Amino acid sequence: MYTKVILVKDTDLKRADKTREFYTRLLDYLREADLHEQIQVVRVADIGVYEQGLVVKILPDKIIYTNLQDTDIKRIVDLTLSEGKIIEDLLFKPKAKQCRIVLRNCGKIDPESIEDYIACGGYLALKKVLGELGQLKLIDEIKASGIRGRGGAGYPTWMKWNFAREVVSAEKFVICNADEGDPGAYMDRSILEGDPHSVIEGLIIAAFAIGASRGYFYIRAEYPLAVERIEKAIRQAYEHGLLGDNILGSSFNLNIEIRLGAGAFVCGEETALISSIEGKRGTPHPRPPYPSVKGLWGKPTVINNVETLANIPVIISKGGKWFSQIGTQTSKGTKVFAVTGKVKNSGLVEIAMGATLREIVMDICGGTLSGKPIKAVQTGGPSGGVIPEKLLDTPVDYENLQKLGSIMGSGGMIVMDDDDCMVDIPKFYLGFCVEESCGKCAPCRIGGFQMLNYLKKISEGKGKPEDLVQMRRIAQAMQKASLCGLGQTASNPVLSTLKYFEDEYNEHILNKHCPAGKCSSLVTYKIIEEKCKRCGICFNNCPVKAITGGKEEGYAIIQDKCVKCGQCFDVCKFKAISKK
Amino acid sequence: MSKFTPADLEKMSKVSCDKPKDWIKVGMSSCGIAAGADEVFNFFVEEVKKRNLHIEIKKCGCTGMCYAEPLVEVSVEGLPSVIYGAVNKDVATKILEKHVISKMLVNDCIFEVLS
Repeated sequence: MYTKVILVKDTDLKRADKTREFYTRLLDYLREADLHEQIQVVRVADIGVYEQGLVVKILPDKIIYTNLQDTDIKRIVDLTLSEGKIIEDLLFKPKAKQCRIVLRNCGKIDPESIEDYIACGGYLALKKVLGELGQLKLIDEIKASGIRGRGGAGYPTWMKWNFAREVVSAEKFVICNADEGDPGAYMDRSILEGDPHSVIEGLIIAAFAIGASRGYFYIRAEYPLAVERIEKAIRQAYEHGLLGDNILGSSFNLNIEIRLGAGAFVCGEETALISSIEGKRGTPHPRPPYPSVKGLWGKPTVINNVETLANIPVIISKGGKWFSQIGTQTSKGTKVFAVTGKVKNSGLVEIAMGATLREIVMDICGGTLSGKPIKAVQTGGPSGGVIPEKLLDTPVDYENLQKLGSIMGSGGMIVMDDDDCMVDIPKFYLGFCVEESCGKCAPCRIGGFQMLNYLKKISEGKGKPEDLVQMRRIAQAMQKASLCGLGQTASNPVLSTLKYFEDEYNEHILNKHCPAGKCSSLVTYKIIEEKCKRCGICFNNCPVKAITGGKEEGYAIIQDKCVKCGQCFDVCKFKAISKK
Repeated sequence: MSKFTPADLEKMSKVSCDKPKDWIKVGMSSCGIAAGADEVFNFFVEEVKKRNLHIEIKKCGCTGMCYAEPLVEVSVEGLPSVIYGAVNKDVATKILEKHVISKMLVNDCIFEVLS
């Protein structure tokens, strides 16, 4: 039986992997020291530390040594493993750590088993709310926690609940907004699929807080597995008396139904979502009156995001004060981010508010996949903005991100490196918003379309310097005059790239050149004769037969025929094709 | 099925869902399934039956390390609890033969150590 385990991994990407050599040397030395039967050495695929050379982690002591040389093996074995002494100059202290509140049960319990959820303390918060707290104390507890809506805008949850509670009405509603539509964001899906009961419990508590007797899950139809699991969880909750009449023997009744969203992005906006549930066309309408006062079928309605609701049971169980100690002055608790794009470890990251973007991207997610420097990070999906590399040390919270011209949003985070073009990125996001605009108000419908045309012109090399001025004017009009959040924020990607990367726009407009090589109209491919080995692979791969010549006389690209797909560039093994 | 009372909940919460027993959990959210987690899950169930091993195979949600799906968490008495990533049938066989039977961690496949 082994008493200790040593994990080994080479985290330096710039040279050849030395994990195996180090592993063998370490094993040899352990054998020499006659420790090989007590200590197991394991090569791992990921050790949780990046760009720190050779790393070992010793278990169960959890000691991490970094930047190791072969000469360090003797010290580690003789001092740490034999005598239990820590070698200070090799020791690594992990900086950023994830803090799992929302994802507490994801990956831990069987999402289809209510027993598993209860065994992890599930539904005890509901019991506490019904048995001890009552409406007022419950809202006080939520107020003390300082939690704000996780859907993007960051409105204090307790205020929403309190408004709806104060309105006198025979019928009130609660809705869980699971219409997650931002490109690259999937936090809500993972929570619904991994821990559906926590969201249901949160929704029941919200309903109790305002005195609602009916609730809805509004889930997009693109999430079939999430729908299936929520359906199953609701059925289990009914069977066990956690939904329906007289919940847990109290006088509180609640019935929950699922409504599927048909894939319209705008239906994530609360007034549009309400219209959609009512069976009307999913278009937003002006607020006030806010849904807390006049919502679904004209009745007081509270709409909370999946992540907000998943936080509620923990806040009740551990107390609002405990929750308020996590995070920053204005933003309490944690936030789940879906980190995607050109990043090594893409996935879900839950951090306490106030961690910096650099910690998230570099320390937790391991930096870029290509090893190239980060150019920018996009947060908040189509409503958010681009944050350049130099500002990555900003602590993440609602206010800070807004100051930078982005938003927290629902939690999408897309990492970009030098290969991403800062004209192409806003073009993609704005294109998304134009496609998804419901068309009800003119600023969003017309403004978005016009701005997209300017971006297209610039990316084709037909832009003029005055276009930037015009784009800024349209963006301002859209922000001020649009009816709902979609239009008001649709210009954020454009404005933030204009703010931080105006040089890149000018390069496109004045020099007709795309520094990232993304805008296909501005790129020309050429065969460099000196490097060409005449293998003919580009000739065979060109889909439009724009390459002429043969093995004898060499090859050339006919520029008029070339569609700039980049196939030849990708397949050439000798880097004999230039892309400019 | 019976309706729970507050006392039932209290009692059930005292029972740990990870009884001190050997188990393998396969992450079965959309991301895992897309990467082939259900195949791995079925493979584990069949192999455990074939080899007559005393280990429970369970399903769970996504732990968040989407770059390394399918993820499999293994807890065996006497070894630290670890998450194996990018698990296919080959790795799954190694997990059963090395980790579960010989009680040794498998090289090159561990993505996270939990305890």
